[in-house]
Amino acid sequence: MLTLTSPVETPLHRWPAGLKLALLCAATVLLFRLTTPLPLAAIATALAALHLLLGRSIAATALRQLRPLWPFLALLALWHGLTGDLAQGATIALRLITAMALANLVTMTTRLSDMLAALDRLTAPLARAGLPTRRLTLALALALRFIPVLSDRIDTIRAAWTARSPRRPGWRILIPAALAALDEADHVAESLRARGGAG
Amino acid sequence: MTGAFAQMDQGIVLRGASLVIRGTPILSDLTLALTEPRIGIVGQNGSGKTTLLRLMAGLVAPSSGSVMVDGIDPARDRKGMLSRLGILFQNPDQQILFPTVAEELAFGLRQQGHRDAETRARAALAAEGRADWADLPVSTLSQGQRQWLCLQAILLMAPRTILLDEPFAALDLPTAARLTRRLATLPQRLITISHNPAAVATCDRILWLDSGRIRADGPPGAVLPAFTAEMARLGEADADPHLPR
Ligand SMILES: Nc1ncnc2c1ncn2[C@@H]1O[C@H](COP(=O)(O)OP(=O)(O)OP(=O)(O)O)[C@@H](O)[C@H]1O
Ligand SMILES: [Mg+2]
Repeated sequence: MLTLTSPVETPLHRWPAGLKLALLCAATVLLFRLTTPLPLAAIATALAALHLLLGRSIAATALRQLRPLWPFLALLALWHGLTGDLAQGATIALRLITAMALANLVTMTTRLSDMLAALDRLTAPLARAGLPTRRLTLALALALRFIPVLSDRIDTIRAAWTARSPRRPGWRILIPAALAALDEADHVAESLRARGGAG
Repeated sequence: MTGAFAQMDQGIVLRGASLVIRGTPILSDLTLALTEPRIGIVGQNGSGKTTLLRLMAGLVAPSSGSVMVDGIDPARDRKGMLSRLGILFQNPDQQILFPTVAEELAFGLRQQGHRDAETRARAALAAEGRADWADLPVSTLSQGQRQWLCLQAILLMAPRTILLDEPFAALDLPTAARLTRRLATLPQRLITISHNPAAVATCDRILWLDSGRIRADGPPGAVLPAFTAEMARLGEADADPHLPR
């Protein structure tokens, strides 16, 4: 089981969650406004520098969290390589990387309960309109917690496979992993139910 | 405190409760009125102990018959159960919902409507001499430490009845001893599952479950010797006589 919030304390941990979310929104809007690679590259560089300032372990974790992006980046490179529009490709790639890194930085430096409290405040007007917002924030909290739990489950399945097989598991763990996900969902539902449910 | 509990306390009442999962009977026709302060449940692996606990906690509804906790259907009134009944799962990893110790502890309190949930959770940790645990990621706790966390989360909610599914399974001897003493002083009704007859020997009443039915029900002095003898007999017997030796 991993957790998304970094145990290494940084000054960013002490910023209010609401402020961080607002800044994240503003920054993401800005990123999508910029249409040339140069300013985006400048922002990406500044962001990388910020990570390094916060500490080597945070920077390393952040880099690892970008891994799911590689297939998309490869696809972008291929497509824009073929069409010859490299500037456009670089813009999209830089935008993706910075947006994702920023979002990750906010999750890494904000405790889940603070994030939920901020979201509760944000969605308070919706709650007054009668929408089940508490359920919404809880769903978000659970998603944030169980994405790393599942990736950990997949690692255990891989280990259990490797311990009893000379071959690498590869795609064969897909089915046990999918079943583990369903199983995990059952347990979460039950534990939630045992403590009053999501309502 | 016990006096205040007694007033609206009718205990857990099962009337002809059965549970069938996909055609297989798991629990059959259980009729029980559980009012004693300390109740132990024993039985072999797969005899239905955990399922009975889930039924009493309202996590599953009976296929037929009824289950009532203080006159309330636990499968329906989930909010009403928060102050009446808490359950410790057999596997702590299936119980923990939140990434840090303090958050996990505070969740139940918040569900009960306490605004100062987080403060209380931290105070409770401090009272146990584990204030430094508050911001630890649960992933860094050992299995026994996780079980301890799950139990604290339930105790903090102070339900009138606590269901414990093998609470000592993952604990080391000192922690188990401390927990036994702690549990002994609690004013709540405790219903404890255990494989170890010694762990439930001081209960007021023992239920022996066998293939989803009550095999014996009575004071430990009457039930446990028979249970221990039967388990020893089964252990001696050759479970797989067709296998070559
Ligand atoms: N969801 C389910 N679907 C099908 N069968 C189930 C389900 N849950 C439990 N069972 C079956 O019900 C029986 C009782 O299971 P239960 O978990 O209650 O046993 P137990 O007495 O707690 O055992 P243990 O001592 O191993 O914890 C077992 O035969 C089990 O296979
Ligand atoms: Mg069990």
